[in-house]
Amino acid sequence: MSIQFKSIADLREMLDDKSISASELIQESLELAKKYKELNCFVTMNEEFSVKKANAIDVNKKTSSRLSGIPLAQKDLFCTEGLRTTCSSKILSNFIPPYTATAVKKLEDAGSITIGKTNMDEFAMGSSNETSFFGNVHNPWKKGYVPGGSSGGSAAAVAAGIVPAATGTDTGGSIRQPAAHCGITGLKPTYGRISRWGMIAFASSLDQAGPLARTAEDCAILLNTMSGHDAKDTTSLNSNVPDFLENINQPIDGLKIGLIKEFNLSDLDSQVQARFEESKKAYEKLGAQFIEVSLPNISASVPTYYSIAPAECSSNLSRFDGVRFGHRAESTDDLNDLYIKSRSEGFGDEVKRRILIGTYALSAGYYDAYYKKAQQVRRLIKNDFDNAFQSVDALMTPTSPNTAFKFGSKGTQNPVELYLEDLFTISSNLAGLPAISIPHGQVNSLPVGLQLIGNFLREDQLLNAAHIFQKNSDYHLAKPNLGDF
Amino acid sequence: MDQETVRTICYLARLEIDENKSEKIQKDLETIIDLIGSLQTIDTSDVEPLYSPLEMTALMHEDIEKSDNKKEKFLENAAASNEDYFLVPRVVE
Repeated sequence: MSIQFKSIADLREMLDDKSISASELIQESLELAKKYKELNCFVTMNEEFSVKKANAIDVNKKTSSRLSGIPLAQKDLFCTEGLRTTCSSKILSNFIPPYTATAVKKLEDAGSITIGKTNMDEFAMGSSNETSFFGNVHNPWKKGYVPGGSSGGSAAAVAAGIVPAATGTDTGGSIRQPAAHCGITGLKPTYGRISRWGMIAFASSLDQAGPLARTAEDCAILLNTMSGHDAKDTTSLNSNVPDFLENINQPIDGLKIGLIKEFNLSDLDSQVQARFEESKKAYEKLGAQFIEVSLPNISASVPTYYSIAPAECSSNLSRFDGVRFGHRAESTDDLNDLYIKSRSEGFGDEVKRRILIGTYALSAGYYDAYYKKAQQVRRLIKNDFDNAFQSVDALMTPTSPNTAFKFGSKGTQNPVELYLEDLFTISSNLAGLPAISIPHGQVNSLPVGLQLIGNFLREDQLLNAAHIFQKNSDYHLAKPNLGDF
Repeated sequence: MDQETVRTICYLARLEIDENKSEKIQKDLETIIDLIGSLQTIDTSDVEPLYSPLEMTALMHEDIEKSDNKKEKFLENAAASNEDYFLVPRVVE
């Protein structure tokens, strides 16, 4: 029986009833990665180590963990000891980390097997995976179309059924938007829920790791393992981690879901709107109640984000100077010239653009007008959420205003056009709130995602609401036709 | 934003922009600055900035000595190093 498109829960059953061994499972997953090489999901494969680890699992016959022997892919932004980690940038194209990120280490310690590192927008800056130094990733649903970004390789690898799940990171929608465009489930947890240690930083007050998988149930399995306090990350939350898997089969009768008044959905594509209305009805049928809520400042999320994220990025990316790691330019005049040439040769255009914006926003004379102002508006946005959660349990929006688009069709003339793709996802990063995207049908044969935003630390509620939806529908079971690859 | 400002920011960020791209970069930056400039219309008097969603101070931990020396591994990633140091072009004559 093929392992393609199987969930973690399915594969666990196959491993436990011995219909497949860990070695066979990993071999097949690696073969699928090769078969669909053209998708360009992976930057680096981890074949030798994966096979060894699977063999060891078969010999030891220990299956104490749900994840034992399960193949996973890691976004190439998580440091992995001894395994090249590039952030899809030329500047890190030869970087071999001396340590493994906490989130990945926890997954590996639980027995899962990292088969490879996935392609992404360079330094996670993008919404289409088109800024990668290693080339575009195809959307498994349609060749020549973007998978979304920045965790585009992870989303495509899961959607193509190569791995049942993958890790991603989400700074402004980078898990949820590619999950939506590829027809899978993606969760951005509460800021601080998962350690950021060993994640190559883009915008430290917004970045958060999370799972991309075929089902909400699988996201719960990964979240259980990835979460928890880490002394190595000063922003890691020291709070109780519930058993997310245990919590997912609760009735949602009486669940109060807020619809954000300021998001005028009638401006959207009529079919995106129609899918949203259908899902709203489906939730009503399951017992949820809808209430309109007002978040007066939410429309300012995009400009707020595009001030804060570049500012933090310009500071974080100053570490790439050609001295301690990463690309170093040849024949330089002096130290300053070495910095300038190494960085200019190593970074792509979008990364440079964001560093420049951030440098400008933080420079003398502009700091108050741009950076501080944005952080003040950020508080207003967070206050709006706090008020909304007085009367509702969760908020519901489309994940993205559009379906996946053709390579090169957006943002080339005007970068802001692509920034507006993040309209529905960005605000939860600014406020640090958890949010999930689940597939809920298609528009013109391309998947669309439904987003639920939860209150602080209420991933349990989101995963439950998503699981109940998936138990009563089959959108998450739809598979792309991979005949073109 | 004029070309001079773009040059100054580039220098502050230690970045060089290709001559043939500088006009496009200038235009892109202007568009983005316009976007973030739209925040000026929002009244934020008496609003404290929110620098992190957690608003907590860093947790303290006990100062326990531990040995985890990976010097060689760290030096391996540098383009130029000797046994103990990262090497850079001469700074002092």
